Amino acid sequence: MVERTFELPDLGEGIAEGELVSWLVEEGESVVEDQVIAEVETDKALVEIPSPQEGTIAKLHYDEGAIVPVDEVIVTFDVADDGAAGEPAASTPEDESAAASDTDDASTAADPGESAADSTADADSGAAAGEGEAAVPSGRVFAPPSTRKLARELGVDIGAVEGTGPGGRVTDADVEAHAGGVTEGEPDAAESPAGGSDATATAATATTAVENGTAARDRTLAMPATRRLAEELGVDLDAVPASEEREGEPFVTPEDVQRFAEGGAAAAETASEVDASAEPASTSASADSTGGEASEATAAGEGDLADRPGERVPYRGVRRTIGEQMAQSKYTAPHVSHHDEFDATELVELRRELAEIAEEEGVKLTYLPLVVKAVTTALEEFPYLNSSLDEENEEIVLHDEYNIGIAVATDAGLMVPVVKNADQKGLKQLADEIQDLADRARNRKIKPEEMQGGTFTITNIGVIGGEFSSPIINHPEAAIFAMGPIKERPWVVDSEVLARKTMRFSMSVDHRLVDGADAAQFSNRVKELLVEPSRLLLE
Amino acid sequence: MVMGDIATATDLLVIGAGPGGYVAAIRGAQLGLDTTLVEKDAYGGACLNRGCIPSKAFIHGADVVHDASNAEELGIHADPAVDISQMQQWKSGVVDQLTGGVEKLCKANGVSLLEGTAAFEDEHTARIAHGGEGQGMETVEFEHAIVATGSRPIQIPGFEFADEPVLSSQDLLNMESLPDSLVVVGAGYIGMELSTMLAKLGTDVTVVEMLDDVLPNYESDIQRTIRSRAEDLGIEFHFGEGATGWEESGDGVVVATETEDGEESEYEGEAVLVAVGRQPVTDTLEVESIGLEPDENGFLATDDRARTDIENIFAVGDVAGEPMLAHKASAEGIVAAEVAAGEPSALDQQAIPAAVFTDPEVATVGLTEREADEFGFEPVVGEMPLRASGRALSMGESEGFVRIVADEESGIVLGGQLVGPNASELVAEVALAVEMSATLEDVAGTIHTHPTLAEAVMEAAENAQGQAIHTLNR
Repeated sequence: MVERTFELPDLGEGIAEGELVSWLVEEGESVVEDQVIAEVETDKALVEIPSPQEGTIAKLHYDEGAIVPVDEVIVTFDVADDGAAGEPAASTPEDESAAASDTDDASTAADPGESAADSTADADSGAAAGEGEAAVPSGRVFAPPSTRKLARELGVDIGAVEGTGPGGRVTDADVEAHAGGVTEGEPDAAESPAGGSDATATAATATTAVENGTAARDRTLAMPATRRLAEELGVDLDAVPASEEREGEPFVTPEDVQRFAEGGAAAAETASEVDASAEPASTSASADSTGGEASEATAAGEGDLADRPGERVPYRGVRRTIGEQMAQSKYTAPHVSHHDEFDATELVELRRELAEIAEEEGVKLTYLPLVVKAVTTALEEFPYLNSSLDEENEEIVLHDEYNIGIAVATDAGLMVPVVKNADQKGLKQLADEIQDLADRARNRKIKPEEMQGGTFTITNIGVIGGEFSSPIINHPEAAIFAMGPIKERPWVVDSEVLARKTMRFSMSVDHRLVDGADAAQFSNRVKELLVEPSRLLLE
Repeated sequence: MVMGDIATATDLLVIGAGPGGYVAAIRGAQLGLDTTLVEKDAYGGACLNRGCIPSKAFIHGADVVHDASNAEELGIHADPAVDISQMQQWKSGVVDQLTGGVEKLCKANGVSLLEGTAAFEDEHTARIAHGGEGQGMETVEFEHAIVATGSRPIQIPGFEFADEPVLSSQDLLNMESLPDSLVVVGAGYIGMELSTMLAKLGTDVTVVEMLDDVLPNYESDIQRTIRSRAEDLGIEFHFGEGATGWEESGDGVVVATETEDGEESEYEGEAVLVAVGRQPVTDTLEVESIGLEPDENGFLATDDRARTDIENIFAVGDVAGEPMLAHKASAEGIVAAEVAAGEPSALDQQAIPAAVFTDPEVATVGLTEREADEFGFEPVVGEMPLRASGRALSMGESEGFVRIVADEESGIVLGGQLVGPNASELVAEVALAVEMSATLEDVAGTIHTHPTLAEAVMEAAENAQGQAIHTLNR
């Protein structure tokens, strides 16, 4: 038998880690190739991890609930040594055999007194390891001694920590985050689903705000690589809030610079603007308030946040992805909102008729496919509403496909599966696809790629309630359309106030790409199509 | 003190007061452990009394003589008169000052000192045999013990250190007069340091080495530099020959050697220095009585907390394995003491630097290019030859280089090899970079004082990035 290690595989584009939700196998258990051994929840979906080979589980390297970086070893297998099973043992720097051979080299050297200067300190013996001691990895670990000490103090196997510092160096923050991930004791706060009214939510945004605030120092401690990064990002290092201290002075890390460059500066500079729009922003039923509240908490100090009582919920997974996405969108794209209302009498009637027919075929037709149809039709006439800004190349990309994201409220938070080439699909197919995507998003069975490539997003806030909203654009799209509820409202027809079914809707557009007038014209066209939905049949 | 068979109890018993033991004892005491340090003869161990320090003192003396006598180019003409016994006295003064300091430091930190040789009785008891006639035995009961008994020079068959013309490094460093000629067996770091020193003081040195070059296990460009400078100093090398025996001949000795093919040679000298390495000292400890068994090389196996197979007994320094270096011993001693005190310490250092005090000096830390490759890295290497260093040239030196090895993808510094004056000092920066996981950019982006040799470290980092100013980038 030989040992084979298995690393957490690539979980999709841009996904660096996942939460190990559950092990489906135990140590000592035999597995066959492709047997599902674990469930890992990523920022986007629940992913089943199949076994790469047949063998016996020798060791599970993480506990359930741990956050596991991609490419970290999660399982060690004992496999039959026939050379055919599985992949060859990894030859990464962490590889034990490499370290062991290094030690061997040292001890077999002819004149060893001078030879083994390079060997890692006594990596060869694992005897008598006490309980609760953090393992010392046998391979190389890129972390300063102080950070390694912190890892030992927190009982963290530093070899399992993914570094975010320069060149992948492990920082104190990485170790602390890892410790938090493992023990569920992470002091990150999160907002409650209800939105930003309770203390926890306010506290959560306070962190963001403080971290995104602007410092003003005369001098700043930082590694040279950090200075270089700041320069590259055009960030004044003295203005970056420091997350660490060295010798009692603020010490800026690369993450601080990155964070500041991504959002902090914008937040600070446009504080009043953000403040003005500080109502709960809604791209879905689970009100995302990341953008709106950023400035509200500027006054709150980081100190009192850490001390605030209340339940502490890890800010992770879908919640954190939403937060990051929304913050990026709100801080990057100047949002302009547009609201309108139309007489939906005919739409209601048509939907009723069509739904009856569709039902015979087992399809549940909601208003959403009709709105998708109207929107894609209008988008074809207003290409800038279906565009993205390629900032790097200073070019506007007018997309040649109409991939419509549908915001879905799930238990884990907002998800936006994408209906690809919606313009080429009929109502029935749209209905089917939307239903399927939404179901799988709620069950966490959706694949990451099914949530990528959108060009425009529709959110149906109306199913929950409200009248209007100020949705946050699904970056890097140019616009988002939020349907309000259809209900009877007073409506003036021929100078008479009648009770009519109307729909109110809201849009946000990226003002860099779309002016208010264009947004209004686009909105008028959508309205026109929905007021007389039979027009859609011509499309 | 009158020594009957009395028993004392201590939290931490440290056996051996070399750089592993005395450091462990002081740290243990600092952490509130009642600490007892046993030493059989000399505080500071081999390092302070018989190795690092006295050899460096003599090497310094030899350098002064050599530099003064070889400065015609600078317009200095001198023929220094050397009084070896005076140099010996000065060296002893240096050693005494340091060993006395160690003793004082131990006392000042509250370490109880015991003279004698310790042997284990069981896992919590050791017997201390006090040296000298009329001295008794003493039993110490301990919670934790740290074995730091160090090493002694290896004897090879046919060469007994007890015979007068057969010298160990220790014997040589205590000589009152220097031999006119000397055969040195072994071209490792001890053999090369002492050969270089003696050649500079005027001894005709013949070096016999079983392997095919000086400083085995170092990279070939390092070996080449050291060998050619040694040859310039008049040292004669015979590689691929093993010493088989010696005979008295007139005032001196004839050392017989043999190649692998059985070809025999003889070399004459006033004495023969055997410097083929050191072996751990475990024979006086009676470790068998607690169920420990040294491995085939005599080392006690330890884990990453410096513990032996017995939870409360630690081993540090030369006795715990390669590399046998004082600074490694100290680092292990600190970890052992801290673990004994319940702290979450561990031996997780990424690299242990090593220095050879030849001319020029050699120092290494971390991985070589080849090792980095073997470890699975994509190594990128930067080099700065010292002939491009203003400081080196202004010191009359132009040989040597600074080489930095980094991981190409991340830029993280993995190691360095340095050859040149003060390489032993310069390596500290590279060691810090390796330990901090600093990147090439971190090193290159740090302003280095001009004009210094240390600039070469920065320049090598720049070279690895293809951005060196004073060397052509490769």
